[in-house]
Amino acid sequence: MIRSSGRRAIAFLLFALTSAAVAGQPSRSFPNRTDSLKFAAIGDNGTGDRGQYEIAGQMESAHASFAFDLVIMLGDNMYGGQTPADFVNKFERPYAALLKAGVKFQASLGNHDRPENVSYRPYNMNGERYYTYTRKNVRFFALDSTLMDAKQLEWLEAALQAAREDWKICYFHHPLYSNASRHGSSVDLRVTLEPIFVKHGVDVVFSGHDHVYERVKPQKGITYFVSGAAGQLRRGNMRPEEETAAYFDQDQSFMLAEVSGNDLYYEAISRTGKTVDSGVIHRTAR
Amino acid sequence: MASTGHKGAKKRRGLRHHVRTSVPRLSRFAVEHLLLLPLGALIALVWANTAPESYFTFTFAIAFGVNDVAMLFFFALMTKEVVEATAPDGVLHPWRRALLPIVASVGATAIPALIYVRAVLAFDEPMLAVLGWPVSLVTDLAIGYFVARIVFGRHPAIPFLLLLGIASDMIGFAILALLSATGERHLTGLPILAGAIAIAYGLRRARIRSFWPYLLGAGGVSWFGFFWSGLHPALALVPIVPFLPRAARDPGFFVDALPTAKDTLSQFEVWWRYPAQAALFFFGLVNAGVPIGAFEPGALGLPIAVILGKPVGVLVGAGVALLCGLPLPHKIGWRELIVGGLIASMGFSIGLFFSGALFPSGQLRSEISMGVLMSLVGAPLALAAAALLGVGRFHAEHAKERRE
Repeated sequence: MIRSSGRRAIAFLLFALTSAAVAGQPSRSFPNRTDSLKFAAIGDNGTGDRGQYEIAGQMESAHASFAFDLVIMLGDNMYGGQTPADFVNKFERPYAALLKAGVKFQASLGNHDRPENVSYRPYNMNGERYYTYTRKNVRFFALDSTLMDAKQLEWLEAALQAAREDWKICYFHHPLYSNASRHGSSVDLRVTLEPIFVKHGVDVVFSGHDHVYERVKPQKGITYFVSGAAGQLRRGNMRPEEETAAYFDQDQSFMLAEVSGNDLYYEAISRTGKTVDSGVIHRTAR
Repeated sequence: MASTGHKGAKKRRGLRHHVRTSVPRLSRFAVEHLLLLPLGALIALVWANTAPESYFTFTFAIAFGVNDVAMLFFFALMTKEVVEATAPDGVLHPWRRALLPIVASVGATAIPALIYVRAVLAFDEPMLAVLGWPVSLVTDLAIGYFVARIVFGRHPAIPFLLLLGIASDMIGFAILALLSATGERHLTGLPILAGAIAIAYGLRRARIRSFWPYLLGAGGVSWFGFFWSGLHPALALVPIVPFLPRAARDPGFFVDALPTAKDTLSQFEVWWRYPAQAALFFFGLVNAGVPIGAFEPGALGLPIAVILGKPVGVLVGAGVALLCGLPLPHKIGWRELIVGGLIASMGFSIGLFFSGALFPSGQLRSEISMGVLMSLVGAPLALAAAALLGVGRFHAEHAKERRE
């Protein structure tokens, strides 16, 4: 009797330890090198609901073993009210541990964000709707796809032209390729932006807007991710097409990435800590 | 029995005469002023939702030529109508008559704008609310005139509504000039614009009768002045057209000039009437292709704002005008004002023009353009309201007259 109870206790302990390890270590496919760039991507997160907090919890768990120091925000960072209290409930509180650990958030705005949010300091936008910055061998371009005017396009051309880093990564709210049925691809933006991206050798593009995860097969040499479910979720909304490489629309999700030399490793992780997609993008020298 | 048969024959003859005289004119008006734009818009809607890549590639390539150049002639011809109608011998003269609709237009623009902002913010689309409200100010004069003629026939409400629409559009264009982000703003554009007006004035003083020097000389300089100053260049002929010599008599609003007309303004119209209609077709094609996937609840903000706000705004504005001592025109009461407000809610061509001027291509432009297209529901609503309130053709006296 005693022996039986002991076995059960040991089995329970082992199960608990294994579950915690799986939930806290979503980054098994990453090389996790000390000198690499590690970052997370979240889109359509700012609901203030339980889903956002649980995703934030998974990000915090992942950070313990995969020390990313950057989070790129793909827009719709805030839904509904956008008062100081909302900034606490929908941003500062869910990501408190990451902010405390010195993780830097770099936002782009979506159609539900207020234009004046460019001046909210923790978004690190410095009052600009679109901007660029460098981390290690990667040049990031945060764009405002809600208002893609001629001035922004002119700036983008010049900024891409001037970039000398190995990797060029663009992120903004509206996806150029998406097979979710609610919104789908923003073809008008694609016609405008894709030739510029191709011309200047953009490697990877992250977007949100559709509340699902989707990885699109490389289009004209560019890999596109839709990651718009870090708070919102449109369950079962995907209508995968031939160009869909992978997708997940059953739960909230976010992304982790590591850029090491000519390789970008990525994982999409669900609200329960399950890795729903992973892989590596190899950059060919231009 | 014979008498009844005679009466019946007389009634049928009367009806045939009525159809012969009024329907062809309205149907010709529909063909020449209304059909091509909706046709272009319909093709655009189908094309943008079935083969979006080719639609946007094609329309982006011709957008500048259509929106910034070809639409010059549409706005020039609209200006011609307004200039002729409000001139001393025009059908909308005297200006005293215009005072009440002008005061009413303040209500008819302010209240829809307020509702728009509140509604779109409630739909959680702050960027659309902040940038898109000027679209709620404007009225499509051509389609408004067409629906007003169907509802009112030859009622005094027609000139009232036209003046209301003109005043609302003028408020809208003034605000667009301040907010439009079509390009860089250069103050040096304003002296260029003044130079263009001076050229037009000089041509008028020199009694130049051909419209070409006005168009190519003054118009060309004006286009550059508008473009350089950051104003929408499609409006470049608006300050030039009033200088074109015109006939002594105004034939009426939207009444086409005869091909034999000798005055410069009529010759200009005869020459550019059909190119302007072609421009409208392409304008619909370029600007109305909204992908259904771009729909967000914020797109409903505009139709809600104009359907509710225009009638309420017209009533409030007219009430203020009455308090200021301005009399309502003959045969116009609160019922006519409500129906008129619903007619004025349709933005269509001017609304699409504003959405293109305020937003670059993308989701916000698609949403506001959807809203503009949805505002066309103002036409059936105006007819339904007219029937319900017994207004215009549905007025008991009018119906009795027609029966007799």
